[in-house]
Amino acid sequence: MIRLMGALFIAAGSAWLGFGAAGRLGARTRTLEELAEGLSRMARELELDQPPLEQLLERLIPGSRGAARTLFAGCQAALDHLEEEPFARAWERLVESEPLLNKEGQACLLPLGQVLGRCGWEEERRALDCAAQRLEQEAGRAREERLRMGRVYQVLGLSGGAFLVILLL
Amino acid sequence: MEENRAVTAYRQALRVLPPPLRQRALSVSQEEQERAEEVRLRVGRPLSLVLPWGERWLEGNPVTGRDLEQLVELASGASFHAVADQVRRGYLTVAGGHRIGLCGSAVLREGEVQGLRNLSSADLRIARQLPGAGEGVLERLCREGRLESTLILAPPGLGKTTLLRDLIRRVSQGEGCHPLRVALADERGEVAALYRGVPQLEVGPRTDVMEGCPKAQGLMLLLRAMNPQVLAVDEITAPEDVAALRTAVGCGVTLLATAHGRDREDLERRELYRPLLREGMFQKLVRILRRGDGRQYEVEELGR
Repeated sequence: MIRLMGALFIAAGSAWLGFGAAGRLGARTRTLEELAEGLSRMARELELDQPPLEQLLERLIPGSRGAARTLFAGCQAALDHLEEEPFARAWERLVESEPLLNKEGQACLLPLGQVLGRCGWEEERRALDCAAQRLEQEAGRAREERLRMGRVYQVLGLSGGAFLVILLL
Repeated sequence: MEENRAVTAYRQALRVLPPPLRQRALSVSQEEQERAEEVRLRVGRPLSLVLPWGERWLEGNPVTGRDLEQLVELASGASFHAVADQVRRGYLTVAGGHRIGLCGSAVLREGEVQGLRNLSSADLRIARQLPGAGEGVLERLCREGRLESTLILAPPGLGKTTLLRDLIRRVSQGEGCHPLRVALADERGEVAALYRGVPQLEVGPRTDVMEGCPKAQGLMLLLRAMNPQVLAVDEITAPEDVAALRTAVGCGVTLLATAHGRDREDLERRELYRPLLREGMFQKLVRILRRGDGRQYEVEELGR
């Protein structure tokens, strides 16, 4: 009985790991899509009437989702502490603290820190459009990877668990 | 009270300085805080204060390019794009109406200045109002309690803008005359100093401000959009400004304006200003004269 329960736990744990890995691939895709969408909105709002960053973020936060909302809220908070931390450094910190962004995803966002709040709006808009486009491409790659690897991780989790159960029993 | 207000203005202006520089500027005496006119930042030089009796260098590390970048970031709220037009005009206005003039390498596009890079120096000018500047003047500009079109005339640096601002405030508040709706074309933001839509210098409750727009266009926009009873403009400098004022007079609007010049004869000699007198666009002329440390305002009837 104990061996059976142990085997079941191992099978469930292994399946959970597989499904978790597949789920992370999905979450990463969503994060990239949310950020791409957020930056595109930011570029549009900027083009509309070039509001100060504080107002721009106030407008963006309510309609943003997930990672974009977190990033914008972090930026809004950073504006209150510009004396202690320049905006470019705060942006870098916020981007690097997003757990679902890999190096490629971060590379799309990090250059914006040197542009946002420091250049004319046209340059900012170009940089935002460029970053959004790169994030969409990354999201496309992440989608493909999820389709390709998601099933693999799920099957690996299930079959790995089954294999261990067979070994144990 | 006036002294406290001067110190408050000084400390408010310092909020845009990077913290180490602010601490240094706050370490000066109370008298210097009251009298300081400007704070100067030059890369490679220590911070300095411009006082009525000269420039004083404050001890400490020299100002760096990073300090100037942080100054712009703090002054713009990390929103250079929102103040880029102001910077192109040579300065940016911050809360309290204080202004920051910037110097560096100009970025040109098609011969026009697009911005500045490698900032080399900054001049933080402390805004201090003189709310009583127009005391005793407005009454002399009114006929039966109603303001007549007035031109303020003086050479640069004698306080034309200060007087214009105080007259606008008084007319708008109805202090010394019947209260009227005033529309102000403030091309360079020197009269009202708008900051996020709020005048930082007192221009009265019935005053509408159009900032950053060429004067002639601003006057016409205000005339069409805001239905003003008084149209105010600082420094008539171009024939288009005169044409816009002519249109306003045709619409029955009272004018409050300033111009560079010494006296009526000086105006008549200059082609730009001659129509203002010949066409009777203004009924009153205020000349500002320096008298010792103070100013004297002479009001002259121009007729109709």
